[in-house]
Amino acid sequence: MGEHGHDGHHTILGFDRYKFNFWILMIFTAIEVVAVALTFSMRDAVSMGTVVFILVAVGIVKGVGIAAIFMHLQGDDDSRVLTATALFPVFFIVVMVLFIGLTHPDAADTLPDWCRPGFYT
Amino acid sequence: MSYGGHDDDHHHDHQHSHWGPHDWNHGHGGAPHNSWAPIMLAFGSSIFLLGFTKVFTQTWDDNADIWTYAIHSSQIGLLIAGLAIFFAGLTVFWRQDWSHDGSHEPKSEGTPFRTIDIRKVAVWMFLMSEMMVFSSLFSTYLRYRTGFDNCEALFESGLFVEGQQCWLPASYFIAEGGYHQEHAHAALGFMPDTLIPGAINTFALIISSYTIVLALKTAKDASLSDAERNSKVGKYLLSTLALATLFLIFKMVEWFIGFNVGHGEDALFHSPSLLADGFTIHASEYTYCHEWDHHGGEDHAGACAAGASAIFDIRMSASTFYVTTGTHGVHVFGGMVALFYMVIKAFRGGYTPQNAVSIEYFGLYWHFVDLVWVLVFPAFYLY
Repeated sequence: MGEHGHDGHHTILGFDRYKFNFWILMIFTAIEVVAVALTFSMRDAVSMGTVVFILVAVGIVKGVGIAAIFMHLQGDDDSRVLTATALFPVFFIVVMVLFIGLTHPDAADTLPDWCRPGFYT
Repeated sequence: MSYGGHDDDHHHDHQHSHWGPHDWNHGHGGAPHNSWAPIMLAFGSSIFLLGFTKVFTQTWDDNADIWTYAIHSSQIGLLIAGLAIFFAGLTVFWRQDWSHDGSHEPKSEGTPFRTIDIRKVAVWMFLMSEMMVFSSLFSTYLRYRTGFDNCEALFESGLFVEGQQCWLPASYFIAEGGYHQEHAHAALGFMPDTLIPGAINTFALIISSYTIVLALKTAKDASLSDAERNSKVGKYLLSTLALATLFLIFKMVEWFIGFNVGHGEDALFHSPSLLADGFTIHASEYTYCHEWDHHGGEDHAGACAAGASAIFDIRMSASTFYVTTGTHGVHVFGGMVALFYMVIKAFRGGYTPQNAVSIEYFGLYWHFVDLVWVLVFPAFYLY
């Protein structure tokens, strides 16, 4: 998709890649807002599940657009090592989200005995 | 090098100074000397945050059986000391950056970042730590959002007691019309007025991300005359600063002020603030209305339908919302402080094709702030 223009600058589909990315972000943000607005104006016609799906899909596209194009994680000589650097915290994020974020607030009170303080004595 | 004026310190300062302007073209092979700025910035931030927890406290009052909130003015010195050290560090940093003309850009020597600019690696390290900060906020949000009963579902189930803790998301007030629900004021028809500030802010941040890219592209453009380049780069950076200011103004409108265009029933826009709607970190006795009667009440001005209200404790949802979006707002403000300096430097000819990467490195931070908003906006405002 990305290619070098005559001036050595990256282009996408023949457009300046920054301008292309900017308009993609604007369009997808508009989609995001309209999707939520539909739950307000068409309260019973659009399910929350549909809206959540749209929000997640739009969020992924926007996130990749900002990181890859605006933050130069795609197309530069150092893009690969910096992408790996940026992804390094993902491990910790997964730990936090899966093992902390998605546990029940009362989880510490309902742990099995073998997993609670005093079991080792 | 001095931009737009004399830098008296610089002329007689070829000796090493950890506080004053760097001499990028002298010394050990052009290498800059050490700086106190980073440790001062870190220390100042720590003192400030420590002071923050000392000044604003929350304690449980056994007698009254409620949480009480207090501001301890005696501890405010810590806040001021932290800010003073932080801004002193910032001053040192700017004095040293002011003279940076790109003649010496230190490269990283260690694996795996060999030959990459040290400043670029440092910014990415900083962003990694920032990812962890926001990840902890998001995991907190997820933990409580999935763990608490939703207030609307709880009310519909009928299995609740007055004052019970439950989750009333910010989107209830912002994207769903609050307690007015479908009767909420919606000048645009398809969305409530309360969503307008957040929507505008989202577009403002994306546009600001583009203006910072344009500033970088322009600064790199060697075909422009110096005067033309300085003017254009300055204007793009100024636009970014203006959009960031707009973001925080609308944030204040959304949280504290609200907005009205017109009066009474004929108002074109009417959006109460979250504070006016009762969505606060103190809302332990929030009156939840499940069904709004648009013509109810003694004066027929609207009221909650009979039997459709309950008292709920919604502090947890409010706290996670304000802490997360507030932390993001603080990052926007931090960017504004940096942009203020960069605008001045740009108009004085401080950015050239040789040192344009300075704008890129700030841009990395600014795009990250935008990226976080890409997650915050749907998670807190829309869902």
